[in-house]
Formats: sequence, structure tokens, C-alpha cells
Amino acid sequence: MHQTRILPGRSTGVLALIGAALIAAIDEIVFHQILAWHHFYDRSTTELGLVSDGLLHTAEVVGLAAGLVLYADLRRRNALSVPHAWAGLFLGLGGFQLFDGLVNHKVLRVHQVRYGVDTLPYDFVWSGVGVALSAVGVGLAVRAKRART
Amino acid sequence: MTAPGFVDWLLGTTVVLAAAAYLRAAASLRRRGDTWPRRRDVAFAAGGFAFLAALLVPVPGGPFTAHMAQHVVLAMAAPLLLVLGRPVTLMLRVAPSSVRRGVLAVAHSRAAVVLLFPPLAAVLDVGGLWLLYRTSLASATHHDEWLRSAVQLHVVLAGLLFTFVVCQLDPVRRRWNVVWRGLTLLGAGAAHAILAKTLHAWPPPGTNFTAADVQGGAQIMYYGGDLVELALAAALARQWYVRSGRARRFASRGFG
Repeated sequence: MHQTRILPGRSTGVLALIGAALIAAIDEIVFHQILAWHHFYDRSTTELGLVSDGLLHTAEVVGLAAGLVLYADLRRRNALSVPHAWAGLFLGLGGFQLFDGLVNHKVLRVHQVRYGVDTLPYDFVWSGVGVALSAVGVGLAVRAKRART
Repeated sequence: MTAPGFVDWLLGTTVVLAAAAYLRAAASLRRRGDTWPRRRDVAFAAGGFAFLAALLVPVPGGPFTAHMAQHVVLAMAAPLLLVLGRPVTLMLRVAPSSVRRGVLAVAHSRAAVVLLFPPLAAVLDVGGLWLLYRTSLASATHHDEWLRSAVQLHVVLAGLLFTFVVCQLDPVRRRWNVVWRGLTLLGAGAAHAILAKTLHAWPPPGTNFTAADVQGGAQIMYYGGDLVELALAAALARQWYVRSGRARRFASRGFG
């Protein structure tokens, strides 16, 4: 028989990985390619920003593939905790959005949300979405924890 | 894109001969009753076809954009398809024992063990690209046909080596676990993406491509690299999933 022990921590972590990779892919497809708001490279990026962008960008690609098989593995082992998985997904989505808004756009200046406009309202909305998604994630995590105890 | 030179004909002919030998070997294996999944034939043939097409079909756009598009296929996409066909495994299954001993001697040699160390393969591959585009090497290849041939050969062989090492589908002496190979893929992919971004702002020194041409090429390098890296990561992930499932079934039957 397969083991049927539920793994809540792993369920949260794996879905957080998928969430972060998903929001990064949405950013790349919608804001870089379709709307063309973000610039590929705007020359004001710091060297550290260039390195961190390259590493994170590749981590998203590798993380998406890794996250999906780790999820399939949890399902196969009957080890997935669904409430924790939802919490993890929102924590990943929100955490990455917040990191992107604060660290990538502002500290490392990888690129801005939009060019030729006052970026302040855009930055507020960008990081605000990150805060909101993270808050949902924290709420779901608390509920998942209570439901188990 | 420059006209195909001597090395391009050499590479093209080698790939055609390899694909023909592969399909013949797979057919003879099936005739004697062994199984050899059809998808491996399809992968290898598609890899050979993509390789040949990239050598012969002119790509629209400026010379740098065309050069980049060609490199993404020759050194990344085609090697992945060729490696997914597991050509060394096939050769070991069909070749006469004298050839088989020769192949195994090479595969198990000390030099092969060193070359197949994942981080070294990554440095030979992506490190070579940094050398090519961030020094005056790229501009030097425009004046020297032999240098251009040597660079083309290196880029293709290093791409094949890197893909072979990351996928590790064929039998080799020293095997590296999925963490080693995954982290190598991560590091190499990051170095590739960073190089593409720097090219977007600063063309290879000594060259006089237009800004639009260089930026187009840089984006092909960045996003083309992404697609192949995603496929490589998927191949690695699938391998882990299949192997860990097999190991668990084995253990749960009480053999563990």
C-alpha cells in the first residue's frame, strides 16, 4: 500500500512555488508582451538587479516544472492537504507580487510598471495587489491550521 | 546570416548521416523483437530536421537577429530533441560487440567523467557565449573564416554536451542526481538570461549591427532560451517523477 500520511507543510510549499512561478509568468506575458508596459531592459537597472533578474527569471521557469511534478507526486501519494495547498498558492502569488513591486521595481530598479507616466499610483496598485493576495494566503493558512487541530 | 561555410556542411552532413543510422538501427531493433518507443525515433528525427533547417533556411530580420535564432535552434532546441532520442543507448543495443566495447571505453573514460561534470559542461557552454559576445571575439569571427568555423563548432558541441549532461538519459559512469543537474540548469539559464539582457544594451564590442537588430537578437536569446529551458526542466522533472514512483513501488513491495 502507498502511504497515506497528509503532508501539510509540503502542500503549502509546493503550491507556493507554483503560485510564484504563475504570477511571474502572468507578469511576463501580460505586462511585458501584451501591454508592453514593462521594458525588457531600461538601462537604469543596477548590476545586482541584472543578476537577480536573471536568476529569478530562470528560477520561475525551472520552478514551474518542479512545482507541477511535486504537486503530482503529492496527489499520487495521497499526501495533499487541500486547505494548505490553497493557502500556499495565495502566499506564493502574493509574496512574489510584493517582492516584484518593492525589491525588483524600486530597490533594484529592474524596470518600472509603466513608462511616461507618474509611476506612484501604479506602484501602489502593484504592491497593493501583492498585499491583498498575501493577506488571503495568511487567512487561508490560519484556517487550514485551525481545521487540523 | 552568413552563407553556410565548410563547418556548416560538415555539421549538416553529420546530422543527416546520424539520423539515417539512428532510424535504421531502431528498425533493426524492432525487427528482432526488442521494444524501442517510437517517440524516441520522432524526437531524434525532429532534432536532425530542425538542425538542418536552421543551417540552410535563411531567417528574416537583421544579421544579428538571424544569427541568434540560428544559435537557439542549433545549440539548444535541436540538441534537446537529439538527446531525448537516447542515441548512445540505441548504439549500445545494436552495435557489434567490438564497436560496443569502443563506445563503452569512451563513455567510461576519465576524460568523459570530467567533461560530464554538470557545472563544467555549463561553463563550457554558457561561459563560451560570454567570451564570444563580451570580448572582441565576435567581431574577429567576421574577418576570419577559420575562427568563425571553430566558434560555430564549439557552440554546437558545447550545447550538445550541456543538454546530454542535464538530461543524463544515456548510460555514463558517473551519474549526478536531479539536484545537481537542476541547479546547473538554473545557473546556466541565469547566466544566459543575464548575457541576453546585457546584449540588449551593449552590442558585442567591435561590431556594427543596428540597435534594433541587436535588441531583436537579445530578445530571441532571452525568450528562446526560456522555452528550451522550460522543456529541459520538464524533461528533468518527468524523469524524477517516474524514478521516484518506481523506487516507492519497489520499497512498498518489501524489497527496499
